Amino acid sequence: MPSKTKPVIALAMGDPAGISPELTAKVVALPEVREAARLVVIGDRRVYAEGEKIAGVTTAMDVVQAGESLQPGETPIFVDLRHLDPATVKRAVAAETGGRFALANYKYALELARDGKADAVSFTPFNKRAMRLARSEYDDEIAFSAEVAGLVGPASEFNVLDRLWNARVTSHIPMAAVPAALTFDRIERALRLTDACMRAAGFERPRIAVAGYNPHAGDSGNFGREEIDVIEPVVVAAGKNGIAAEGPFPADTVFLRAKSGAFDAVLTMYHDQGQIAMKLMGFDRGVTLLGGFKFPICTPAHGTAYDIAGQGVASVGATWAALLLAAEMAARR
Amino acid sequence: MIPAGLPVALTLGEPAGIGPELTLDVWRRRGEFEVPPFYVIGDPDFYRARAAALGIDVPVKTVTAAQAVETFDRALPVVPLDMNVTAQPGKPDASSAPAAISSIRRAVADVMAGRASALVTNPIAKNVLYRSGFAEPGHTEFLAKLAEEATGRKAQPVMLLWSPELAVVPVTIHLPLKDVVSRLSKELIVETGRITARDLHDRFGIVRPRLAIAGLNPHAGENGSLGEEDRDIVAPAVAALRAEGIDAVGPLPADTMFHARARASYDVALCMYHDQALIPIKTLAFDHGVNVTLGLPFVRTSPDHGTAFDIAGTGKADPSSLVAALALAARISARTPTLATAT
Repeated sequence: MPSKTKPVIALAMGDPAGISPELTAKVVALPEVREAARLVVIGDRRVYAEGEKIAGVTTAMDVVQAGESLQPGETPIFVDLRHLDPATVKRAVAAETGGRFALANYKYALELARDGKADAVSFTPFNKRAMRLARSEYDDEIAFSAEVAGLVGPASEFNVLDRLWNARVTSHIPMAAVPAALTFDRIERALRLTDACMRAAGFERPRIAVAGYNPHAGDSGNFGREEIDVIEPVVVAAGKNGIAAEGPFPADTVFLRAKSGAFDAVLTMYHDQGQIAMKLMGFDRGVTLLGGFKFPICTPAHGTAYDIAGQGVASVGATWAALLLAAEMAARR
Repeated sequence: MIPAGLPVALTLGEPAGIGPELTLDVWRRRGEFEVPPFYVIGDPDFYRARAAALGIDVPVKTVTAAQAVETFDRALPVVPLDMNVTAQPGKPDASSAPAAISSIRRAVADVMAGRASALVTNPIAKNVLYRSGFAEPGHTEFLAKLAEEATGRKAQPVMLLWSPELAVVPVTIHLPLKDVVSRLSKELIVETGRITARDLHDRFGIVRPRLAIAGLNPHAGENGSLGEEDRDIVAPAVAALRAEGIDAVGPLPADTMFHARARASYDVALCMYHDQALIPIKTLAFDHGVNVTLGLPFVRTSPDHGTAFDIAGTGKADPSSLVAALALAARISARTPTLATAT
């Protein structure tokens, strides 16, 4: 592939107190990643240098200043915002300065993509507490990304492990609030968004398994009626609209079936229903994809891992997978 | 202690399901699987006919429980019920329901009287039993009732799903998920944790069982912002268990407590609802999980699969879970103090 057709990925450095600096350095050093994409890393050169030291890698980069125009090529570019002295970073402590650092990097990356200067955005892990210290109204990455880059439709978070996708109808809400949120419209919207995002990622006709809500998917109504009253009608309606959805299936075995190749995705009804299985099947490789934007946004599914930060032992697998997924999706746009 | 050398009692289960062929298969491959001596309670002619239909060579011998161990090397020992079993594979037939129920009753009587060390139950089909007047909500509830009848004391059964990778206890089980919130109480979690800790000590020989208690809500509620139950119900239950000297931690976010590094820090995970427990154990140990009922005056295990009518009679069913259930029953009953005295 000639280099100018390789997608440009804006990679924002995440929380400086955890494993993000070392992961950023590690992933940039991977020839496979540079083969798949032209990289623009956004952060502070000094923090990045610390990350390189911890990771034991060095990569030649073209360093530019904030606002400078970019000509991305084979050599990765580093946009040096010069906004954080690593001497002020206390390892494994969520701090306002760290939150501001990550937010500024991420905002810069989103603006590059919004303005057509990058084809996809990726970032190493944020620390939610630090983000909220820096910006009290910070809700989540979707809300912030929508504010900076605008939405093209409903947005949702997907978890991707190898080729298996997981989308959820409800996410960060109390379990007691889930049943009322499981409406026909809401499930259908999640299903359509999953189908659309997966097509954008290259699945011709994604096969989506829809999980039930109750134990044994309600066991024909013996353990709850949501399957019969709401979920199944959505699956039937989706089928008529050309979406390859099946279900509802019992949640305790649907992931095994999907993993064995029967499905490309599982749509789950609540947060832990999908998160437990996905994290078990690939804690070190899972990717979070923010769908619903004009460009793909991918990040490792794991967090800042304060307990192992600075040791250079953090696995780069999920960050690597996040960049490859972003590159693959961007290349199809 | 249960005297060494007692056999394990295995129930008939649903005769139209995969239970009978797995029973025959496990006996036939008893050396390969290293299963403990067991006998099955049912109809000897039914097992002969099923073996012939499957084309496998399994001699079947009618025995009393006391003859089971000496017979086990040469033939599948069957303790007969006075009932014919006629159901065909994949075709459940209510006329076999009395035999399925009687087999469970007899197995409990045997283990309570010291004729068997433990009981292992083959899967039943509740719908079939309901048609013949069975009124219990499930297998486990029926066993608890039989235990209460035998001892005159209330039995609080607790379901433990065990595998070498992970052990889980669902605090609530077969009810609509929307009803879990109202069913959960500090008392229920404490009582379940107490029974779990006691039986892991007494039966599994774990000196000081470590309990990891899952939160109900995403991220274990994030201090109440994603649901109040973790702060108001689960956390106080954990504190109460700790006050009793039980090594309990939690509430823990359910999505990060099951990977290998996390699992190394506890012996059992207490989960707030069915799928919170079943998703991780099925993902980790799909074919060799064992269902253990704690809180009863005897050891009961069962394979972690159902009747599988769709493949019954084909010989395709995987015996791993029944093998694991038999082995675990023998292992944990060997160290279980029992009410029964051998006669």
